[in-house]
Amino acid sequence: MNKIKIKDEITLSDNETKEIYLFTKEDTKRVFHLNENSHLVVYHYNIDKNIEIEINLDGKGAEVEYHFSTINYQNHSLIMQIYHNNKKTVSNVFNHGVNINNNRLSFQVVGNVLSKSSGCTCNQENQIINLESGKSTILPNLLIDNYDVSSSHSAYIGKFRDDILFYLMSRGLDRQKSNELLIKGLLLNGGDKEQKEVLMLQKEIENI
Amino acid sequence: MIEIKKIIVNTKDNHKKIIDQLSLTIKDGEIHAIMGPNGTGKSTLSKVIMGHPKYELIDGDILFNQESIISLGVDERARKGIFLAMQDPTVVEGVSNSEFIKTATQEVTGNRINYFEFIKEIEDSVQKLNFPIDMIHRSLNKGFSGGEKKKNEILQIKMLKPSLIILDEIDSGLDVDSLKIVCNNIKEYLEENKYTSVLIITHYPRILEYLKPDYVHIMKDGTIQKTGDISLALETEKVGYHSINEVKESNTYE
Repeated sequence: MNKIKIKDEITLSDNETKEIYLFTKEDTKRVFHLNENSHLVVYHYNIDKNIEIEINLDGKGAEVEYHFSTINYQNHSLIMQIYHNNKKTVSNVFNHGVNINNNRLSFQVVGNVLSKSSGCTCNQENQIINLESGKSTILPNLLIDNYDVSSSHSAYIGKFRDDILFYLMSRGLDRQKSNELLIKGLLLNGGDKEQKEVLMLQKEIENI
Repeated sequence: MIEIKKIIVNTKDNHKKIIDQLSLTIKDGEIHAIMGPNGTGKSTLSKVIMGHPKYELIDGDILFNQESIISLGVDERARKGIFLAMQDPTVVEGVSNSEFIKTATQEVTGNRINYFEFIKEIEDSVQKLNFPIDMIHRSLNKGFSGGEKKKNEILQIKMLKPSLIILDEIDSGLDVDSLKIVCNNIKEYLEENKYTSVLIITHYPRILEYLKPDYVHIMKDGTIQKTGDISLALETEKVGYHSINEVKESNTYE
């Protein structure tokens, strides 16, 4: 992770709303700055790369919704830092990964709420599915220095549930097809299916 | 259609016997119903026919169209035409109902589907089930009421066209109107598919009054203890399962 470089910085000005799709092709750090009442939605897709994400909610009322989806074949990590630098800022992040082989996928996700940042919402949901016997870790951290904050975090590491697989297979889908459908559901849920970044990840899923 | 031959079934994890020497034959086009007290193995039987990995077959055999299916996986049994409509259908977040049904239809038929025909058929079926059209675009069973989940199982039957339908307490949690809609849709399917057989697992005779089974079996202690017609279901509702002990072995159907 030492060699990772900032790919680009994205800044949203006051009251700006933006939805962006990203597909990572190299180890990358991305930095976001959100000014007052701006609203950012990101669908970020990744295959087998180390990723750092830094989100700065600088302006009052700034909101981010971040969907990170990754397919992992070797040993890779996501490090995500969300800084609530102002009042009434909102972050909802969803980090989903599928670990294909017996290697390691790691998520370290930190929501930081400063003492001056009252009235914030800081939520994170993290899931890693190990298809084989991979070793995955999730560190879902909330560093909150203010009493007036709504916050939640969740982390799941494991396989697809047996009852779900039974249900799909009882309708004629073999295990591979069932996994494919579930991986698409996990990684592509919510994104616009016509976007080229979504199509690229979809193609990768179909080749697993 | 299906011949269940003296099966003994244990749970895989603690080796507890659930089904004990159960035999049952369902011929093409027949409707059978199984009733029985809670915990007697009715739902387990449905899962064993489907090949649920939680259970192990200790002895006996299950033939489907004269071929043993006990070595087949769950998906292979489904592709042969067995459909288990579940008591509490599983929620699968992120997988849309339409994507799931489309994929399952392709897997079961082995053909690429014609999208125009598929959409028309699914819309017709949804309308007949009095099912909001937006349900087919939502995540599979997510946020569905109990009744909507059951109707979604019937929708899948209509799309996948199985030849053996197992209804595991499809009537539980359904209001009177929804039960009527569900039963009418099953009856319509059976009229269009004369050789399809049905195994109904239920606690209540009301569904049987709609679907009119050829045989009603009372299951207790992991095996079938008595067989009759629909009058047996009505009698059982009056006197309870307790009295069934008195007629054990008198009329075992095989």
